Amino acid sequence: MDERIAITGMGVVSPAGLKKETFWANVKAGRSCVDTIKRFDASLYPSHIAAQVHQLDAYSHLSGRLTKKIDVFSHMALVSSEEAIKDAKLDLDNCDKDRIGAFMGNAIGGWLFAETELRDLYLEGREGISPYMASAWFPAAPQGQVSIYYKLRGYSKTVVSDRASSALAVWYAAKVLKDKKNDYCLAGGMEAPITPYALLSANTHGALSKNNLNPKTAYKPYDLYRDGFVLGEGSGMVILEREKNAINRGVEIYGFLKGIGFSCDGVHRIKPALTSEGLEFAIEECLRDCQWSKDDVDYICLDGEATELGDILEVKALQNVFKNKLGDISLSAPKSMFGNLLGAQTSLDLIATLLSMRNSLVLPTINFSEEDSHCDINCTPNKAVAREINKALIMARGRGGINVVLGIEK
Amino acid sequence: MGVKEDVIGVICEVLDVAENEVKDEQTLYDSLGVDSTEMVELSVSLSKKFGVKLQYKEITNKSTVSEIADVVEKKKLNF
Repeated sequence: MDERIAITGMGVVSPAGLKKETFWANVKAGRSCVDTIKRFDASLYPSHIAAQVHQLDAYSHLSGRLTKKIDVFSHMALVSSEEAIKDAKLDLDNCDKDRIGAFMGNAIGGWLFAETELRDLYLEGREGISPYMASAWFPAAPQGQVSIYYKLRGYSKTVVSDRASSALAVWYAAKVLKDKKNDYCLAGGMEAPITPYALLSANTHGALSKNNLNPKTAYKPYDLYRDGFVLGEGSGMVILEREKNAINRGVEIYGFLKGIGFSCDGVHRIKPALTSEGLEFAIEECLRDCQWSKDDVDYICLDGEATELGDILEVKALQNVFKNKLGDISLSAPKSMFGNLLGAQTSLDLIATLLSMRNSLVLPTINFSEEDSHCDINCTPNKAVAREINKALIMARGRGGINVVLGIEK
Repeated sequence: MGVKEDVIGVICEVLDVAENEVKDEQTLYDSLGVDSTEMVELSVSLSKKFGVKLQYKEITNKSTVSEIADVVEKKKLNF
């Protein structure tokens, strides 16, 4: 990337808070936001714990007329977008809306709306289903709703690529800005998987932690006693613009998107490869794209799947790429606090990393107690560590062996 | 209560708007920006409320409240 793409605004809807200030206060203190699912009876699900967003309505600026037409994942995206736009001091009325786009990542769609309406369809017949079902459930619905709400007419896209969705969406937005097709992009992701059907599907996948008796400490990536990740819900959104544009506007720049590397293992439609070459390729590709050497990286925000295979392969890839330099890089998986947001995971990882850069603080991987000899890394266990961060990588891996690595710098 | 007041009641409930936002003399599109999907929901709710069958395009978002009330009233008489 030649001209740098600046990040000038951020909006958060997360289990750790609905404002970036609350989010930061919670994650820097290492607080777990995981709890037993209580909004419906999930007790018979093998995994019935999650990091949930509470009180979305209290922070919402939307009318009842709109919220009844949309799924909660669109609601989250609208709230985080509003925050991001405000944070970037973007006066939309004085912008050319033909050159503002929205790029969002989502993996599974809006199931709370879909499940409820399909039940009514089967119980009451065709008049039982809401006409909004047609436009509420599908993964591109939030991007559409945000575009309509703010009348954004610029080039826009929704990316569906499992847990790498929002990483790819953010990169896509940066590319469109670099190509000068848009002047501003809203970029990020949203996911709301804590619904009866979506939770069942995630359970079937088999990678969720079943440590239901200890929800607060269930998500423990790189720990010897890890047993899977914990689902989270929420949305993260950032405003992207070209560096010159941001400087001319005189707004605060949180950081720059510098480069990306991605690869696909290409061995199975769901399972990743049993070797780490694909991920290594993505990391090296990202370093090349950023024009960084291996010494340059200060921090890596890890994928932290907390499964045996996921963690071991991730650690192996990092060790193979960075070799003895890995010890100098800070590593952590902040999502151990606010859950794995599937398609939206990188949107929150990106915001967490930008805030870490700003506050010179490496966020912890919480719940770490016992070292696993196969995951021999320093994952910043349990307590945040002060450190100047200038350059960072963010890892995202999805089913079927999708590997995406983003490079961001101050 | 007349049919027209009932129609306004359904519109307020379905669209979650206040009664004074519903303007008699304007079309639903002009007064409230009602779109085609909202029209489907409105049509189903009115059919249920008055026990009549409103066919596709008998009422649209280009209809005014009075026009809708007329359609409903005629249907009730024919029933």
